[in-house]
Amino acid sequence: MDISTMFSTMSVGMLRSFGIFVLTLVGSLPLGMVVALLKKSRFVVVRAITSAYITVIRGTPLMLQLLVWYFGPFYLFGMNIGNWRFPALILGFVLNYAAYFAEIYRGGIESIPVGQYEACEVLGYTKTQTFMRVILPQVIKRIMPSVTNEVITLVKDTSLAFTLAYQEVFSLAKQISASQTSFMPFVIAGIFYFVANYIVEFVMKRIEKSMGYYK
Amino acid sequence: MILQMDNIKKSFDGLEVLKDISFEVDKGEVVSIIGPSGSGKSTLLRCATFLETIDGGEIRYMGQRAAHTDENGQAVYVSHQELRHFRSYCGLVFQQFNLFPHYSILKNLTDAPIHVQHRSKEEAEQTAMELLGKMGIADKADAYPYQLSGGQQQRVAIARALAMKPEILFFDEPTSALDPELTGEVLKVIRQLADEHMTMVVVTHEMPFAKAVSNRVLFMDGGVIVEQGDPISVFENPQEERTKQFLRVFEH
Repeated sequence: MDISTMFSTMSVGMLRSFGIFVLTLVGSLPLGMVVALLKKSRFVVVRAITSAYITVIRGTPLMLQLLVWYFGPFYLFGMNIGNWRFPALILGFVLNYAAYFAEIYRGGIESIPVGQYEACEVLGYTKTQTFMRVILPQVIKRIMPSVTNEVITLVKDTSLAFTLAYQEVFSLAKQISASQTSFMPFVIAGIFYFVANYIVEFVMKRIEKSMGYYK
Repeated sequence: MILQMDNIKKSFDGLEVLKDISFEVDKGEVVSIIGPSGSGKSTLLRCATFLETIDGGEIRYMGQRAAHTDENGQAVYVSHQELRHFRSYCGLVFQQFNLFPHYSILKNLTDAPIHVQHRSKEEAEQTAMELLGKMGIADKADAYPYQLSGGQQQRVAIARALAMKPEILFFDEPTSALDPELTGEVLKVIRQLADEHMTMVVVTHEMPFAKAVSNRVLFMDGGVIVEQGDPISVFENPQEERTKQFLRVFEH
């Protein structure tokens, strides 16, 4: 198998890795905000459940969480769900990343001076207006560096999908390497992750720059 | 009568900050509140602007009751909706300006009029530009707060409060966060508003300013109004020993 054949075989895996990446972000970026706001709820029970969720997610390996989501329904409840592999995978990724994003959001929200809230209150803004018009835009600017960190980690974490035998780029690299007794698939996979993160960095820098018009 | 506060009580964690204070402001009046830190001046302003809730007493704006003490001795406020209506009567200028850093100066002045008071963009911008002109910073309309000096930022904050067309404007130590050479430009603007008979309550440590601009001066200490009257009598002929003691620090 020559390099170009390897590459084209692996390109299917690259698309799948990209799919995990996009779906995880689409799910976890908004869900993280929901979690962050639930953690600031005025109900003790809601706060306790949210805290427990974040602690458990952050305290256990993502690889283990993926296995739990995939095998859990069968071993715990005897359920047989058809085509469960991919949904389990995305569920695991989204719930995991939402917990981390929630903590980033919370840190950002808490870093906004109380004077901003008071100014809004005196001017008669509603709570929703205060959050959407004044607090959130400032939070987003402040948390961009931490979000970039998470997004870069996510690019590399998509390789954990091999745990569920999902044929993304890393799984394919391993298979092709074994069958062809070649080191080349790993080099290709490595370049893929590196280039992907290079693009992520570039895009995030642009976004940060676009918010640089104020301090 | 624009504002009437009767028998206001407020405690923080068992510490009584306002002890049965009564205080009112007439239309066109300029009232200065002076006193040592911790005397309850700022808390009184924050209660008047609904940033803090009172424990007991009554607050009226334009004769309408915003809060009162019920038969159980609990302070009760009007509904959230109605409270927003009461908030529209008063503006507050903070010590720390609290401008919105992500909005241009113009947007700082127009955002609330447009989205809270539902005025048209054209009208809001026209009002904003007039106010900026009056504050001497019309050329800064497109700048962002971080590009302005402290004195300019505070003048924007005053303009932002005025853009809401309040009946009464409160100032919480408006020059305390400024370098001494910048306080003058802010005080000048407040003085100008006083000349136009804007109703104002100013918590301040600038004694010459309080003396020159206000119709009435309140001296607060330990959560009570120790003495009040026209500026000449309070500053030059204080009756209470505590007032004399406080003012002595500011001589020389």
